[in-house]
Amino acid sequence: MDVGRHPLIEVVTNAEVIGCEGEAGSFHVRVRKNPRYVREDICVACGQCVDVCPQVGGNEFDVGLKTRKAIYRPFPQSVPAAYVIDHEACLNLLGGLSEKQRQRFEKIQKLKQRKRPDYRRNVLVCGHCAKACEVNAIDFDMEPEEFELDAGAILVAVGFQEFDARKLGNYGYGRFPNVVTSLEFERMLNASGVTRGHVVRPTDMKTPKRIVFIQCVGARGEGGRPYCSRFCCMNAVKDSMLVRQHDPEVEEVTILYTDLRAFGKGFDDFVQRSRDEKSAEYVRGRPAKVELVPEDDTLEVFVEDTLGHRQKRIPADLVVLSVAAAPNDGAIKLAEMLGIETDEYGFIARLDPAISAVESTREGIFVCGSAVGPQVIPDAVAQASAVAARAQSFLVGHRVEETEEAVESLDLSGSPRVGVLVCHCGTNIAGVLDIDDLVRHAATIPDVIVAQDNLFACSENGQDELVNLIREHKLNRVVVAACTPRTHEPVFREACAQIGFNPYLLEMVNIRDQCSWVHSKQPIEALEKARTLIRMGVARARHLEPLQAGEAPMTRAALVIGGGIGGIQAATDLAEQGFPVTLVEKTERLGGRLTAPNLKHLYPNMRPAAEVLEQKLERLKKSGARVLPRTEVENITGFVGSFEATLRIGESTIETISIGAIILAIGADLYDPTGEYGYGELPNVVTSQELERAFFEDEEATEEIRITQSAIRNAKSASFILCVGSRDPRGFSGCSRYCCPTAVKQAIELHRRGIDTTIFYRDIRTISTGAEEMYRQARGMGVLFVRIPPGEKPEIVGDERAEAVRCFDDLLGRGLEIPTDLVILSVGMRPRQPDTRKFHDILKASLGLDGFFLELHPELAPVETAVEGVFLAGTIQGPKDIVDTVAQASAAAAKASVFLAYEKVRLDPAVSVVDEEKCRACGQCVEICQFHAPQLIEIAPGTYTARINAALCKGCGTCTSWCPCGAITSKHFTDRQVYAMIDAFFAEEPVS
Amino acid sequence: MTVARPGSHPSPKRKRGSGSAPTVEALAGASGSDRSAARAEARGSSWNPNIIVFACNWCSYAGADTAGVSRVQHQPHFRMIRVMCSGRIQPGFVLRAFEKGADGVLVSGCHIGDCHYVFGNERALEQFEKTKNIVKLLGLEEGRLRLEWISAAEGARFAEVINEFTDQVRALGPSPLANSDQLSAVSYQRSAKAARLRAES
Repeated sequence: MDVGRHPLIEVVTNAEVIGCEGEAGSFHVRVRKNPRYVREDICVACGQCVDVCPQVGGNEFDVGLKTRKAIYRPFPQSVPAAYVIDHEACLNLLGGLSEKQRQRFEKIQKLKQRKRPDYRRNVLVCGHCAKACEVNAIDFDMEPEEFELDAGAILVAVGFQEFDARKLGNYGYGRFPNVVTSLEFERMLNASGVTRGHVVRPTDMKTPKRIVFIQCVGARGEGGRPYCSRFCCMNAVKDSMLVRQHDPEVEEVTILYTDLRAFGKGFDDFVQRSRDEKSAEYVRGRPAKVELVPEDDTLEVFVEDTLGHRQKRIPADLVVLSVAAAPNDGAIKLAEMLGIETDEYGFIARLDPAISAVESTREGIFVCGSAVGPQVIPDAVAQASAVAARAQSFLVGHRVEETEEAVESLDLSGSPRVGVLVCHCGTNIAGVLDIDDLVRHAATIPDVIVAQDNLFACSENGQDELVNLIREHKLNRVVVAACTPRTHEPVFREACAQIGFNPYLLEMVNIRDQCSWVHSKQPIEALEKARTLIRMGVARARHLEPLQAGEAPMTRAALVIGGGIGGIQAATDLAEQGFPVTLVEKTERLGGRLTAPNLKHLYPNMRPAAEVLEQKLERLKKSGARVLPRTEVENITGFVGSFEATLRIGESTIETISIGAIILAIGADLYDPTGEYGYGELPNVVTSQELERAFFEDEEATEEIRITQSAIRNAKSASFILCVGSRDPRGFSGCSRYCCPTAVKQAIELHRRGIDTTIFYRDIRTISTGAEEMYRQARGMGVLFVRIPPGEKPEIVGDERAEAVRCFDDLLGRGLEIPTDLVILSVGMRPRQPDTRKFHDILKASLGLDGFFLELHPELAPVETAVEGVFLAGTIQGPKDIVDTVAQASAAAAKASVFLAYEKVRLDPAVSVVDEEKCRACGQCVEICQFHAPQLIEIAPGTYTARINAALCKGCGTCTSWCPCGAITSKHFTDRQVYAMIDAFFAEEPVS
Repeated sequence: MTVARPGSHPSPKRKRGSGSAPTVEALAGASGSDRSAARAEARGSSWNPNIIVFACNWCSYAGADTAGVSRVQHQPHFRMIRVMCSGRIQPGFVLRAFEKGADGVLVSGCHIGDCHYVFGNERALEQFEKTKNIVKLLGLEEGRLRLEWISAAEGARFAEVINEFTDQVRALGPSPLANSDQLSAVSYQRSAKAARLRAES
C-alpha cells in the first residue's frame, strides 16, 4: 500500500513490456497496458459490482480453492485499489460465452454494424456491473494501450512460479485430491484464507489427523532441476508448527527431507524449537510414491528412511508437497526483449554469480528476488533495496527535490467548532446505515456546528465540500465518517493542508470497513455502532491540537566503517550517486578477506578473488569516495542527519567529520577452534582459512603455512569437518552459510590434486546460486560425503599427527574410521570483537542473542537498525557469503541515500514530549525505547530530566504509558483524547 | 443533507463528569440485590455487552480493516479505539473503560516479533499483566479483559476473536461496575430504540 501511495511511484498493472531500446541511462521501454475494463482513477473499490456479477471463476490468489466473480479484486490489499474484469469470464467481453453463443452474438453485431456504420458495440450481454457502479468506472470499450517510458535504469523483479507437481506423477498430485501443494496448504492455514485457518482434507472437509510433508518436490535433481529452492525447508517447519498450534486434532506431522536447510539467521533455533515441541517428526528420505488406500480414502507414502535404514509406509490423511520455485514462464521472453541473458533453467542470469548480487548481463538493467533463482524473503528484500541503490547511479541529476509551497495557516484558535462529514461511499455505507439519521445525530453532539453527507467524500467533489464546510462555518476541527484512516487519512489531510487547515485537526471515523461492511446483516446494531463511533470521533476531535512538522538539518555525507567487500560496495554505491563518502579501514589495505593471500578462488565459477577485488577497487576509485586506511573511529555523537565522527588517522592525526548517515561494515571473525579436534596440537589439523592460504605459493608464507603446503603436496587423503563453531547450542547456534559451499569448493580443488577427500557433514547446505551444482559435481568426482548425527562430533585418531577420523555414519548406521593425512576444520563465523562491542556501545544499536548486530526487522528492514541513520552491511548482521554481503551492502547504501537525498529531515510532529516539571529522571523511558529517543540530560547542576529527541522518536507512545509520573505526552494520542473517546462511548446520547 | 447550527453554543452539561479520577462508586451505586437481579435479567439473550477494543494502528486495526474488505461478518457490540502501538495502551485506559461501564475490554496488537516499533507489544504485554491484576482486585471477572495478537492479514481471525469475546462477555452478564443508572439509562434507551427501529422497518 505504501507503494501505491508514494507520490514518485507510478504503478502500471495489467501491463507487459513489448520492446526496449537505448542504453543504460536512457532506455526507451515500450509497454502495453491491457485493458482492465474498470477505470482505476475513478473506481473507489466499493465492490457493488461484485454482488451483481453472475459469472464465477476460480480465484488465483487462493490457488483455485475459492471462487471469485468475473469482476474482482485479486486480493484484499491489492494495489491499485480498483476492480478488474476477467475478460475470459465476463459475458460482455464474450469470454464467458460458449462458442455457439459467441457466434450468435457476433452475427447480430455484424448485422447491426452493416445497418449503421457508426454502430459501436453498445448492447451489453450482461452489464449488471456497469449499472450497479455509481461512479461509472466500468468501461467495456477500453482497448489495449501502448506507450513508451523513458528510464535510466530497469529493474527486473518478475519472481518465480510454482513447479508443476503434476510432472512428478508418482506423488499423485492432480490424481489424489488429498495431495496438495505447499501453497494450497498455506492458503488453508491463513486465517483469512479459504478455510479461515482450518486445515482440511479436500475430499471430506475434515481435519486430517496425519499430515506428511514431502520436501524437494521439483528441486535438487527431480524434474530436471538440480538447484535448491531455499525456502521450502523452513516453510514446512513453520507450517508444521502452525498447524499443530491451530488444530489439536492433528495428531502427527511428518516431514520427509533430504537435508534440513535452515541456513538463515535464527532458522536453526526455529528448527530446534520445532524439535523440542515435537511439532513434527523428521524422516530423512525421498519417497518413491504416494498411493491411495481405497478402503478408507487415506494415502500411503512409500519412503526409505535413510537414517532408520528401513522401508516405511507412512499412512497419511493429507500429503503436502513442498514444491520448488521454477522460473517464470515469461522470464525468457522478457529477457530477450531487454537484451539480457537467462541461465540454463530460465531464471534471469546474473553478470557474475560469484560477486554480482543484482547486476544482469546488461549495463543499467538490474534484477532482484526470485527472478534470479529461489530466495528467502530477507534476502529478496535486501536485494530489492540493492537494485534501488545500483539503479540510482544512473539517475544522478534526475533526482526530484521536494518543493513545498507555503500556504497561509487559517486561524484555528478558540473553542472547538466541529464539522462532521458523513460519507455514503455509494451504497457501501448508505446501503446499510441510515445516513440521514447519522447526520441528524452528529448535529446534536456538543460543539458540532455543522453536519453534512456526501456521496463519495474522497472524490474531488467530496474534498471540495469538506473545504467549503471549513471555510463557511469557520470550523477548527473536522470529523470525516467514512472508511479507514489507514488508507484515506492522507487524502483528507492533504485536502486540509492545501487550504492551511492544520491536518492534525482532522479525525476519521471508520464506519465502512469496520461497520457497514462487517455488520451488514445487523443494520440496527450497525447504526447504533456508527452513531457511537461518530460521538467518540467528535469527542477526540474536540481535544485535538494543531501540530507543526519540524525539520532537522541533514548533512548530505556518509561514513562507511570497514573496508571489506561490503564496505567497498556500499561506499562505491553512495559515491556514484554523488554523495561525499568517507570509507575508513583499520588496516592498511582494503579488501578484507578477498585480499591475497586469504582467498584464492570464489565459488561457484572459480574466479580469482584478486581479479574481482581489483575490479571493485577500480570502481571505488572512480566513484570519488574518500578512502582512509589505517584509520579507527574513536567516537560518534549526534543523531540522524547530524552525526559527528572522531577519526584517528594513522598514529596521531585526529579528524572530526560531519555525516548524515553511517553504514557499519566491520565484518565478522572466524571461529578459533583451538582445543577442538586436536587443532593447535596436531600439525596436520588446519582450518579452512589456513588451507585457502596454503593454496597461495608465495614468498611471504610463514613456517606454519609451509608445513601445511608440504602436507597438501604429500597427502594421499584429506578430511573436511563441517560446522566447527556453528550450529552448536553452547556457542553459536546458527548456520554460518558460507562453509558448505566453501568446503565443497576446496574439496574439488584437493581432489584435482589427486587427494582422496571426505567431507563430514550434518546437513549439506549448498544454497547459493550454482552451489548445489558444485555439490553434485563433487559427488560425481568421487568426493566422499559422510553424514554425522547431530550432537555428535567426529573424533581425530592419532597422537603426533592426525591419522584418521572416527565417527558414526548416520547413513550406513555404523561406526567408521577413515584414514587421513590432513584434517580441515570448516570454521564458522563469530561477531568481530572487540569492534562489535565497541560500535554497540558508541551507537547504541542493539545486538541479537547470537552477538551479531540486530536488524530492525528480519523481513521488512534487513539492513536498518533501530537507530535511525545507522545501517548494516555484510556479515556484521550475521554470517553470509560474498554475493549476499554485496547485496546487503548495496541495500544499506540505498537506505542511507533515502536520507541523504534531502537537505532536511522532516520530523513527524506526532511524537512524545516530556514535561520536565513532572519528570523525576528515573530513566525508565531511556531504558525501554528501542530508538534511543529519550535521553537523560543535566539541566542544572545535579538536576536531570529526560528529554525526547523528536528526530529519533517514532511516536509509538510506549514511553508515555510506561512513565511512572505521567510526565510524557504522546502528541495526537494524548491521554485526554483517549479518555474522551472512552467517555463518549458511555455517555448518554444527546436527545435527538 | 446539511444540519447546521447558527454560531457556537455552550456544551450541555453532562450527567457524569468526564475527567474524574477512577472510582468504584459504581459498585456502591446499586444495592446488591438490585444488581444481581439486573444482571440475571440481562443475561438473557436480548442483552448485548458494551465492549471496548484497543488496537494498534499497524496490525490489529489493520486486521479489522481486512475483515471489512473481506466482508467477514462479526458481532457489532464493540467499539474500536486506535493507538499507534499496543505499547501505548496503559492500565488507565482499561480501567477508565471499566469505570465508565464497559462490560469487556480487548487489548490487541501485533504478534510478538512483528511490532512496528520492535518491542512495543512486549511492553504492552507487561502492562496488560499489571492491568489484569488491578482488574482482579476490583472484583471483576478475568474473562472481561483479554489480550490478543492479530496481524494485518488476519481479518477472519479478528472476526473470530470478536465473536468469541463477545459471547464470553455476554455469558458473564453486565459488568458489576456498570451502575444500575447506566444499565437502565443506556441499555434501556438502546434496546428501546432498537425495538422502535425494528418496528419501523
